[in-house]
Amino acid sequence: MMNQEAQLKLQAYLDGELPAGERAAVEAWLACDAEAQLLLAELQNTGRALDGHGADVKLPETREFFWSKIEREIERQEQPEPVISRHQPVSVFWWLRQWVPFSGVAALVVLLMILVVHPGQSNAGQFGEMEIAADSMGADVFRDQEQKMTMVWFYDRSGDSQFTESSPLATVNHQ
Amino acid sequence: MKNDKDHSSANDEALVEAAKQGDMGAFEELVARHRDKIYARALSMMRNEDEAIDLSQEAWVKSWQRLNQFHGESSFGTWITRIVINLCLDQLRRRKRRRTESIEEMDEESGGVERQLPVVTTNPTERLERAELRKRIDGALEQLSHEHRTVLVLHEFEDMEYKEIARTMGCSIGTVMSRLFYARRKMAALLANLKTEDLK
Repeated sequence: MMNQEAQLKLQAYLDGELPAGERAAVEAWLACDAEAQLLLAELQNTGRALDGHGADVKLPETREFFWSKIEREIERQEQPEPVISRHQPVSVFWWLRQWVPFSGVAALVVLLMILVVHPGQSNAGQFGEMEIAADSMGADVFRDQEQKMTMVWFYDRSGDSQFTESSPLATVNHQ
Repeated sequence: MKNDKDHSSANDEALVEAAKQGDMGAFEELVARHRDKIYARALSMMRNEDEAIDLSQEAWVKSWQRLNQFHGESSFGTWITRIVINLCLDQLRRRKRRRTESIEEMDEESGGVERQLPVVTTNPTERLERAELRKRIDGALEQLSHEHRTVLVLHEFEDMEYKEIARTMGCSIGTVMSRLFYARRKMAALLANLKTEDLK
């Protein structure tokens, strides 16, 4: 059985890819090796069978239809794409969306502090009910009478807020 | 972009120059002249008509966009053929990445049984009608892995040298040589209706 190196050398000889110096050696080998002759004949026959294959293949679309698709695609790709500037001014709506949760929280904290600092003006230190304007925000309140301290946790119900800390947002010591 | 000028008598070089100036009519004539060959090349590599049509269309769009990079180093036909070959190779690579190669294909890559196939001593295609021969060759090409088929197509149909195939496919010359050898041997066996089972 011929080894792989010999097989590939024979093929390179057939394809004219062998250096001139090696061609003579392969020809001498071919002259006295029947197996090499048979293999060379098989490779040649395969090449002949493939010769001209595909020459009669026709694109199964009319000239006009095929061209119309190409023309349309060229025109489509030549349309300038809308330029998105990196320095485009940010819309007011975007700012509002970013700052509404913060301002809501700040307002609540201020309200809470007013009530705690001036309990007499409120319902005698009772916080009663507090409403949170934003639907996406929740709050938990803990009140320690002995320590005279109230802790308020605000949290984001939607889960995409920056208020993810587990520590209370406001701690108020009663006077 | 319409151009009613008759381009049918102009040669490819003149059409390319006109197309470079933005003459779509000239480019349409180039498409009409070479579209069958470009499609045939895509079909020989992809073995799927729809994919071959899409890829040949893409090749024409790309060639319009890159026309200014063509300076006549080769014929326009050769240049646009290289574009469609590269698009087909990209598509085949993407497809291969999406799919785990079968053990059979890996075996084929490393030689498999093709190297040990008995030599086909008679020319199996000698007395075949052209249509029958085409059918058999198509069937045989379909059974090759895309790497083997591509090497065979580039060498036999595009007359590319080993070095050029290696560059196009991004592999070594040694790999090209062994792939080509196994592809030819498998083709010979398939054309002779030999099956690997016959070896057992």
